[in-house]
Amino acid sequence: MPMPLHPFVLHRPDSAEEVIELRSALGEDAALYAGGTELLSAMKMGAISYEHLIDVKRVPGLREIFDQDGSVHIGATATHHEIENHPVVVDRLPSLAKLTHSVANVRVRVAGTIAGNLAFGEPHADPPALLMALGGTVVVQGAKGRRSMDIAEFCVGAYETGLREDELIVEVDVPIPPPGSVATYMKFQVLERPSVGVACLGEIHDGRFTSPPRLVIGAVDEVPRLVDAAAIDGADIQDEAGMGAVCDAASRAVDPTDDLSGSADYKRHLVGVLARRVLRKLAGEP
Amino acid sequence: MDNKPQIVGRSIPRVDGVAKVTGAAKFAIDLSVPGMVFGAVVRSERAHAEIIDIDTRSAEQSPGVVRIITGRDLDNVVPYFGHIVLDHPILAIERTLYYGEPIALVIARSQQAATHAASQVEVEYRELPYVTDALEALKDDAPILHPQRGEVVRDLGFDAGEEGGSGNICSLASLDWGNVDSGFAAADLVIEGEFRYPMLYGYAMEPYNALAVSGEDGLTVYTTTQHPYMVRKDLARILSLPFAKVRVVVPYVGGGYGTKSYSKIEPLAAVAAQLTGLPVKVVLGVEESIHTTRSDSAIVRARSGYTAQGLLVARAFEIVLNSGAYTDNSPQVGQKAVNTCFGPYRTPALSVRMRSVFTNTVPASSLRGFGTPQGTFAGELQMDEAAERLGIDPVELRKRNLVGPGEEVIPGKRALEANLPEDLELLSKSVDWPDPGEGRASGLGLSASDSGAYPSSTALVRIHADGSASALVGATEMGQGSRTVLAQIAAQELALPMELVTIVSSDTGIGPFEQTTGASRTTTVVGRSLQAACQDARRQLRALAAEVHEVAVESVQDAPGGVLVDGTWRSFAEVIQGWFGAGGEVIGTGAIRRSGDFAETPVFWEIGAAGVIVSVDRDTGEVSVEKLATIGDVGFAINPAMVHGQDAGAALMGLGAALHEELVYEGEMLTNPNLVDYRVPRFEDLPREMDQMLVERQDGVGPYGSKGAGEGGGNAIGAAIASAIARLLGVRPRELPLTSERVWRLLQDGRIPREADDDLS
Repeated sequence: MPMPLHPFVLHRPDSAEEVIELRSALGEDAALYAGGTELLSAMKMGAISYEHLIDVKRVPGLREIFDQDGSVHIGATATHHEIENHPVVVDRLPSLAKLTHSVANVRVRVAGTIAGNLAFGEPHADPPALLMALGGTVVVQGAKGRRSMDIAEFCVGAYETGLREDELIVEVDVPIPPPGSVATYMKFQVLERPSVGVACLGEIHDGRFTSPPRLVIGAVDEVPRLVDAAAIDGADIQDEAGMGAVCDAASRAVDPTDDLSGSADYKRHLVGVLARRVLRKLAGEP
Repeated sequence: MDNKPQIVGRSIPRVDGVAKVTGAAKFAIDLSVPGMVFGAVVRSERAHAEIIDIDTRSAEQSPGVVRIITGRDLDNVVPYFGHIVLDHPILAIERTLYYGEPIALVIARSQQAATHAASQVEVEYRELPYVTDALEALKDDAPILHPQRGEVVRDLGFDAGEEGGSGNICSLASLDWGNVDSGFAAADLVIEGEFRYPMLYGYAMEPYNALAVSGEDGLTVYTTTQHPYMVRKDLARILSLPFAKVRVVVPYVGGGYGTKSYSKIEPLAAVAAQLTGLPVKVVLGVEESIHTTRSDSAIVRARSGYTAQGLLVARAFEIVLNSGAYTDNSPQVGQKAVNTCFGPYRTPALSVRMRSVFTNTVPASSLRGFGTPQGTFAGELQMDEAAERLGIDPVELRKRNLVGPGEEVIPGKRALEANLPEDLELLSKSVDWPDPGEGRASGLGLSASDSGAYPSSTALVRIHADGSASALVGATEMGQGSRTVLAQIAAQELALPMELVTIVSSDTGIGPFEQTTGASRTTTVVGRSLQAACQDARRQLRALAAEVHEVAVESVQDAPGGVLVDGTWRSFAEVIQGWFGAGGEVIGTGAIRRSGDFAETPVFWEIGAAGVIVSVDRDTGEVSVEKLATIGDVGFAINPAMVHGQDAGAALMGLGAALHEELVYEGEMLTNPNLVDYRVPRFEDLPREMDQMLVERQDGVGPYGSKGAGEGGGNAIGAAIASAIARLLGVRPRELPLTSERVWRLLQDGRIPREADDDLS
């Protein structure tokens, strides 16, 4: 039912340093605000409220996307729409471009940002699983300088992240997969958000997995789950037993619950189905 | 239509198209008046409870608050509304019957202030046992929602079941002929099954809203209703005002689908305006709209008997509707389910029993098709099952049983106009029956529903002094295209270009009476009253011309945009100005009542004919609709593109119910009263191919042989989809929506998980 939007002070700082100062001063009374697609909806529903919002959209240099030292650097306030269409992403990280194109709808994508998506900590989100498979890191800046976290460190729980109260995400760095490797993301979606998302990065050479693929299950548990794929390390792509073992491991890696998007056992089943499909895709099947 | 310019029968662009796509068109939600204040509704947080106290003290101190109204402020008005039974309170009185029911209205200077203050109203409840399931509500020990029943008012015109009964029965209806027992005894095959149709919300982009202004001339309410005259009746009764002092104005309606039939939030806005003396606007959000009206979910137990040759010998249906907390339109929905569940098939013996049941849930009312989709789902799937068990092709089995043109579907009612065997042939060809290729299957659904359009309609045509014309009607433009179609009819009848004709609609203070805008009535019923008004204007113009030119009226003939006086063309303008000397106008009137062409009911049989080709991802259960075929069996399409729009819209709306949509109760609350969790169809759900056929046999009583459209596709699509899935997977779906998980489970174990079967008898 309609809830009154709790009044708040909107701060519009012009530098990262100012953002950090405000964060330090305001603590948990403040939230960072960029696209607002998750935050403002939740505030309008009365699910959360903040006395202060710190708009980071005016901070210079936070929106760039470029390719350097083997990684694609995606500025914190780059929107999904910018990411999915950026030549560097399209060229170097086609799997991320494709995933981003499937996030929500175009109205969300032109406003929502990658950092906002990660910082909100919504468990039923697309990007974390693929970023984990690709070995992406989240670079944050605080009073004591910069540090970076991998996705497992960053995604702590439902709506919980490793971002500290005085910190700001400045960019997301994604290593460009080595030549010959393939990254894939597939999802199953019933409602507005994915009910299962499966990402995979791996390499096949001469019909064999050259190493265990990085297989990650997203959108099911509170955080993305990396699946042990050792069973197909060096295995032939026709190795049904190995493939089956990895898909079973994927199903076991998650602990789904019954909800409107499906019962727990159905979602567990879907994880296995999608895991097999991403591995097959890796093996070059359509 | 002789040598008149042909305006009907052409896909003329919508008269409101540009205004709507550019955002210029005004809907009720866009309107404001000076000094307007805003209402925010406080809603029940219990499914069933006595209201012990409503503490408004803190809210009253909140900035901007003008007044807070509760059930105790309704002493000087009739505090209930309802067009069949007066049992729906404007605000809960002493007891609340469902979670989300309006309990108080906070009126403030801004929407923000009203919403803020509303959150500070404290309601103290004494909880009572509640029941949300219809079968549970029928049990002896179930809590009773209405120990005292509301007054029966029956504003409909038609019988709609029998209201009331013992326990939680909201209404009863039945239909019987022949001897069912001996029919089943003699049958070579008898099949039985229980079918479930989901509880739906008919999502409209414009939520419920109303702006009420009380003044010296009485009450004016600007609202998004489909039925301004039904709302006027409710408001007049509530406030003890004559009709002449209640003006209901409806601009464009942003989606109706039956969900905006009858009164919703108008009584509350009107009472608030009366009590405060200020213009009050009440706008609900989507979540509140879902807590205002939804459709009747249904459990249908069906039994059908056939000869070895596939001829029906007997059918029996028991229908239980979950109708929510108040009566609203459920009796009519139930009656419609009764009249349509057995399909347009020759049925020697029939027994149908319907019980509409009160539960502590959102009140159910109309939604596109009324009860037809619910019953058709059961009836059509049994035709398929019988065909399979008898080894007869399902299309062939239907053909052997279909009611032919000119035959009765229900004894004593209007005979069927349509040629269903021909329609079925077209439909089956379009979906490549019987084999649409590897990994695919076709499914079909047919229905004929007795339109609930009561023939009570009036129209005015004003021929202005410059020769242009305004047609005044009570039909509401809710996206279906009524203004365009009616303008085409008026332009055709007066032989004027479309640009010289304007439709003025749905203003009870200015325009003429119309019973409703629902049941696919407008083209047929309003079209005919408008035709009559045009003919009346024509008659007057001929008489005026005869007087002006001093000739016998017999020597004046109708001509495009004017008359021929002894062979000389005189424009309407010339005739009018000649007669009045200066200015003037001619006003033609038309009326339709239950007589002549409209003596028999239904006014027409609305045909539902939908076919699909589906494929299924066997790993996930996900269903893809490869092709959707519909037949617009409309007699004559005044605007073919708009018939296609209606057919596609109805079928795609039905596709939502078939595959995704369902309101789900958990405990006393809905779990998904929002568009994030309630899954309406999206563009990505569009079938890969659409074949929209038009059948025009000029067999309707509407203008030029037309008859109604707009619900048909949705009536049949649920059965068509389930039938195709059954053929493809060798399973027998009996419950919608066929979500991916349900289909996957059918594949796993051949049955849909369900709570223990309750005994319906």
